[in-house]
Amino acid sequence: MTRVQALLSVAAIAMGVGLWFALTAPPDALQGQFSRIINVHVPSLWLGFLAFGVTAFGSVMWLIKKRPRWDRLAASSVEIGVLFTAIGLSTGMLWGHAVWGTAWDWGDPRLASTAVMFFVYLGYLALRASVDDPVARARRSAILGTIAVIQVPLVYFSVNLFRTLHPTQSIRPDGATMPSEILVAMLVNVAAFTILYVALMVARMDLAVAEEKASSKETLAGDAVKPPRLSDVKDV
Amino acid sequence: MRFWAQAIEIARVDLRVEHRLGDTLRVVLPFAVVSLLVFPLALGIRLSVISEAGLAVFWTLAILFGMQVALRQSAADTQERRDLHALLGVDPAARFAGRTLSGGVLMLAFLLVLYLAMVLLYGPSLPSGSWAITLVSSLLLAVGLTELGTLAGEVTAGLRNRTALASLIIAPLALPLVIGASQSLEALSRGTSILPWILLLTATDLALAVAGVGLARPVEEATR
Repeated sequence: MTRVQALLSVAAIAMGVGLWFALTAPPDALQGQFSRIINVHVPSLWLGFLAFGVTAFGSVMWLIKKRPRWDRLAASSVEIGVLFTAIGLSTGMLWGHAVWGTAWDWGDPRLASTAVMFFVYLGYLALRASVDDPVARARRSAILGTIAVIQVPLVYFSVNLFRTLHPTQSIRPDGATMPSEILVAMLVNVAAFTILYVALMVARMDLAVAEEKASSKETLAGDAVKPPRLSDVKDV
Repeated sequence: MRFWAQAIEIARVDLRVEHRLGDTLRVVLPFAVVSLLVFPLALGIRLSVISEAGLAVFWTLAILFGMQVALRQSAADTQERRDLHALLGVDPAARFAGRTLSGGVLMLAFLLVLYLAMVLLYGPSLPSGSWAITLVSSLLLAVGLTELGTLAGEVTAGLRNRTALASLIIAPLALPLVIGASQSLEALSRGTSILPWILLLTATDLALAVAGVGLARPVEEATR
């Protein structure tokens, strides 16, 4: 069994445990069965924040060290972050439709600001797709990855800044705002999703290494000219 | 030459190039004012609706056309000009500061003319003191948007889809600036404190300034 297969197996078991907790926790007294969406919605958006934080870290590290693995880390994390942010937005809209009667509520700044954050990182992926040279791509992406994280705190604290339908943070210094069974199920799922993130990150970074190896074998103008490789960069 | 002397010299040259090309005042500004005229026609020429929509239209156009000001031709360096700056030993951070200075001046002038046109055309009901708040929030918005525009313009320099890509990068990242600027006037109308929104604008401007200065050298390398 490879490292990726082992990690994905652990993630699958963790997700199974998370699903069991999600289905066996008591439903909310007001929202009924719809409240179970919290077990996908919150962990997905947590992964989005985590992934974009890791991207910022990888970007800063690339700018300092100029090692290809930091670029791989940042780029892989954005792809996974965008996927889970999309899942978090979709489940939020489903939940809002069921509970508030509308899928998109302009009175919810968390929803709007999360959608905007999603587009920032779509811009990051569009930038990467627009640059052919791997060193230039890594450098430009690292700059954007460092700047883009500026708005993540605004998204997180938007529920505190504005009057909104969206609930504020569930876990506060003075205690949790939800019943302990629902809270435990949500935290188990947060842990399971985090394990899944680690597994997907390792798999995606391995794939990035394979892509780099494959592209370094391509010849552009005969054997005399080869495309530049990130691993060739020592210090620019 | 010292840092600020370099920055002021770059800003002076930028403004002179802009004066000759006239991108902002002769192209972007008239286009934005024409857009102000188009909105009421789309809204159905109902005076109460137009009056209410005035500020929202202003902030929307401020961001959309502000991006055009930030990405203006006079702020896009040719490779020769970059090489010249490098040979002259111009500090990349001073280049960022100079560009922010020149862009900020142009952006502020653009925003104030657009605001004046909006007030004349839409007749919104504005609370007393709104001019002072508009001036402060427009100044902070101008600085932040220029910093973002300078960074996005550099990151996308030389790419085939530069204009669209830079706009895609700037528009969502400008969210804290739009919220801060628009909510400061809203807060004044509601009679609540404007301080949190001015702080949000200031904090965003400072964060972008730190990013711009800190990343100036990698940005310089990225465009070579």
